[in-house]
Amino acid sequence: MRVGVYFCNCGINIAGRIDPEQVKARLQDMPEVDYFETCGFLCSEDGKRFLAEDIRNKEPARVVIAACSPRDHEANFMRVLESAGLNPYLFQMANIREQVAWVTSDPERALSKGVSAIRSAIARVRLHEPLEKQKLDIIPDVLVIGAGPAGLKAALTLAAADRRVVLVEKDPVIGGKPVRYEELFPAMECAPCMLEPLMGDVFHGEHADRVELLTQTNVVEVTGYYGNFIVKLRQQPRHVDPVQCIGCGECVAACPASAPNEFNCGMSERKGIDFPFAGALPYAPYLDHQTCVRGKGDECRLCKDACPLGPDIIDLDAGELVKERNVGAIIVATGAGLYDCSALPNLGYGRLPNVYTSYEFERILSSTGPTGGELVTKEGEPPGSVAIIHCVGSLDDGHVPYCSGVCCQYAFKFDHLLRSRLPDIRITHLYRQLVLPGKDGTTLYREAVTSHAVDLIRYENISEFSLYSCNSGNGGTIISVGQYGKLNADLVILCPAIAANQGAATLAEVLDVSRDRWGFFEELHGRLDAAQSKLMGVYLAGTCQSPMDIQQAMQQGMAAAGYVLAGLIPGRKLEIEPITAAVQTDRCGGCRVCIAVCPYKATGFDEESRKSAVNPILCHGCGTCVAACPAGAMEGHHFTFAEITAEQEEALG
Amino acid sequence: MIRHNVPAGFEPKIIGFLCNWCSYAGADKAGTAQIAYPPNIHVVRVMCSGRVDPQFVLQAYHKGADGVLILACHPGDCHYKEGNYRTAQRNRLLKLLLGQFGIEEERCRLDYVSAGEGERFARIVTEMVESLRRLGPLATNHHGKEA
Ligand SMILES: Cc1cc2nc3c(=O)[nH]c(=O)nc-3n(C[C@H](O)[C@H](O)[C@H](O)COP(=O)(O)OP(=O)(O)OC[C@H]3O[C@@H](n4cnc5c(N)ncnc54)[C@H](O)[C@@H]3O)c2cc1C
Ligand code: SF4
Ligand code: SF4
Ligand code: FES
Repeated sequence: MRVGVYFCNCGINIAGRIDPEQVKARLQDMPEVDYFETCGFLCSEDGKRFLAEDIRNKEPARVVIAACSPRDHEANFMRVLESAGLNPYLFQMANIREQVAWVTSDPERALSKGVSAIRSAIARVRLHEPLEKQKLDIIPDVLVIGAGPAGLKAALTLAAADRRVVLVEKDPVIGGKPVRYEELFPAMECAPCMLEPLMGDVFHGEHADRVELLTQTNVVEVTGYYGNFIVKLRQQPRHVDPVQCIGCGECVAACPASAPNEFNCGMSERKGIDFPFAGALPYAPYLDHQTCVRGKGDECRLCKDACPLGPDIIDLDAGELVKERNVGAIIVATGAGLYDCSALPNLGYGRLPNVYTSYEFERILSSTGPTGGELVTKEGEPPGSVAIIHCVGSLDDGHVPYCSGVCCQYAFKFDHLLRSRLPDIRITHLYRQLVLPGKDGTTLYREAVTSHAVDLIRYENISEFSLYSCNSGNGGTIISVGQYGKLNADLVILCPAIAANQGAATLAEVLDVSRDRWGFFEELHGRLDAAQSKLMGVYLAGTCQSPMDIQQAMQQGMAAAGYVLAGLIPGRKLEIEPITAAVQTDRCGGCRVCIAVCPYKATGFDEESRKSAVNPILCHGCGTCVAACPAGAMEGHHFTFAEITAEQEEALG
Repeated sequence: MIRHNVPAGFEPKIIGFLCNWCSYAGADKAGTAQIAYPPNIHVVRVMCSGRVDPQFVLQAYHKGADGVLILACHPGDCHYKEGNYRTAQRNRLLKLLLGQFGIEEERCRLDYVSAGEGERFARIVTEMVESLRRLGPLATNHHGKEA
């Protein structure tokens, strides 16, 4: 075995502490060392050229590079090896800069430690096997789950790049939360108008033919892996053909059944067949089974008969559809919910008539909401005073310690909207921290504090609050806040922390992706890869990953689409890292320990042979199963038992 | 076991298994921050602490190590979701086994170092070297190093 050793001086970073000549002398007794070369800066363009040429000339069987950390340049050197015709895995780095030269003050001991690191690398590299990247065919199509801002942006970006997209939305309406708002911070733009172009593009934009929108649909099963997922979708019937329906609403008027409208948080009624709210897209009503009297054995068909377009538009007997789609990647954009205010009973939510969550208040402000945008209390009176309580459940170890980053801004948005509708209104903000990030973040706040007498009260802890009814019985609320005393408010708005969606747990299970400690979908890396989940081929966009505003949600939608476009390229095969585990079938005893420990479900059991097998596409190469296998049947490529023991034996020798 | 005769100038040998994503990066961080620590450790890089087979640890002692350090990502931060939980589980069994062999508990340490914790890495190594200096060479070593 002929091993070539390259020693990088790294200027004086390494050579200033470890003398290469002395290193060379201390490798004399290793017969496998064929040659020892030094270089000023191996990672420079000149250095890499030298390395490639030298390897081509000397044709070593293995290469050891003693230099910086493999985390810096291992990948670069591997590419050089490959270009020089050597399998890049027949190579080992000895980290003599970060882990020796820079941390060892005594030169003699630095030399010994460096030599030991290099000798161990030589002992190990002898055992290295050439490894090849596996190449797989891919499906370039994408599943996007959730048609809010993040999902819409991701879907349209992919469609513009000619990708076929299956866009799945659980509700009968698209646009996510913001289509239900009246106006948006920071610029007070009309929310549905801002989203209209995006939503319109899904139906009749230039690339609309590439987007298959499935509303009232849930993802119920996912099998396969990056490049080739098979997803099973369950779609509830709308009972109304959204393409032919002209949205006249004759069926709605005819329907005898009604129930609280969940799209208005139950603050108004809707019919058994109805629009979620005015202007909701797709522009067609949907029939709700729970409400429709046919579900209770009645033979009603009033809606069908009322339709001016004839009997083909409403199909009362339509049933649930199960659809299967084959996609290469999945983008999760399912949004978030609000922290449950019933966990803070002192705030009176659910008990006092005029205490609302911010989301409910958005609906009250909205012209498509329960009051048609008329700002009134439960009693039907315009409020004279409003209290906005920020940080509900946020920044609080008893609830959630994080800041959601959007609440203060929408609180001042509320301030703006309240004042523009009721100029004499008295508004009090009670907050724990004011957080207004970004270049436009303070606009509405500054407007509030400069244009009128807004009261800002900083409180210590939400537990100091106690809310109760005014004795006058006019629906008003008395807020008592610890040492600050009391104030009256006709309307109280709570700004709860943004919290994980209720359905997130089920979806995470179906996708087999992890969630963080708050229940948000967990990113691969908080700084580098926030739009990627820990499961290859599953990406994250918007508030399902972390609280954020619409700007960030749109950007993350683009980012997730970018990952897909960069990773799944039609006509190009997917390269799979060869550092994976593999079962040596003859030694496998079929105990299934490896299956129990694999965090990626990459190990499976073959019932016929009664032995385990690793799917190299799913395997991330952590080696947990390798260490766990009691039969020594699991091999960890590039980190084999023999390789690691050879390394440590030499280091201890 | 208390050892009274620690040979003069005894320098313990430590094998450190460091996972690539956090602790190896933490060790590199000690380097970039130029935090000096005793050179008694040889670092074996593994992708995840979950790869650390107890046999590696036993073999390290057999081949002359006086201590073994296993460093992982902090709980919840493992690059592979839960490799470090497996390591912690395994470590409890390993401790029992080492006890049966009469190998002192201080000779095997599982700890957590993140990519930014260069100082913590250097401190852990320093502490371990100091405690092994007090303990002296491992009795089971058959490399003639014992006084
Ligand atoms: C009261 C309030 C006011 C706000 N005001 C502003 C503002 O003025 N300006 C601003 O920039 N930001 C504002 N925000 C923040 C804004 O709401 C979010 O940034 C935005 O909604 C994030 O978009 P998204 O696509 O991630 O999620 P969402 O808007 O929540 O959309 C997610 C979509 O996924 C669907 N879905 C969920 N689960 C599933 C499933 N399992 N299968 C299929 N589909 C699913 C949902 O039905 C929804 O359509 C406000 C937030 C709140 C709470
Ligand atoms: S742990 Fe080892 S022996 Fe058991 S099933 Fe897996 S590969 Fe086979
Ligand atoms: S190496 Fe890790 S990811 Fe791969 S099969 Fe084993 S446990 Fe699963
Ligand atoms: S990657 Fe660090 S412990 Fe698993």
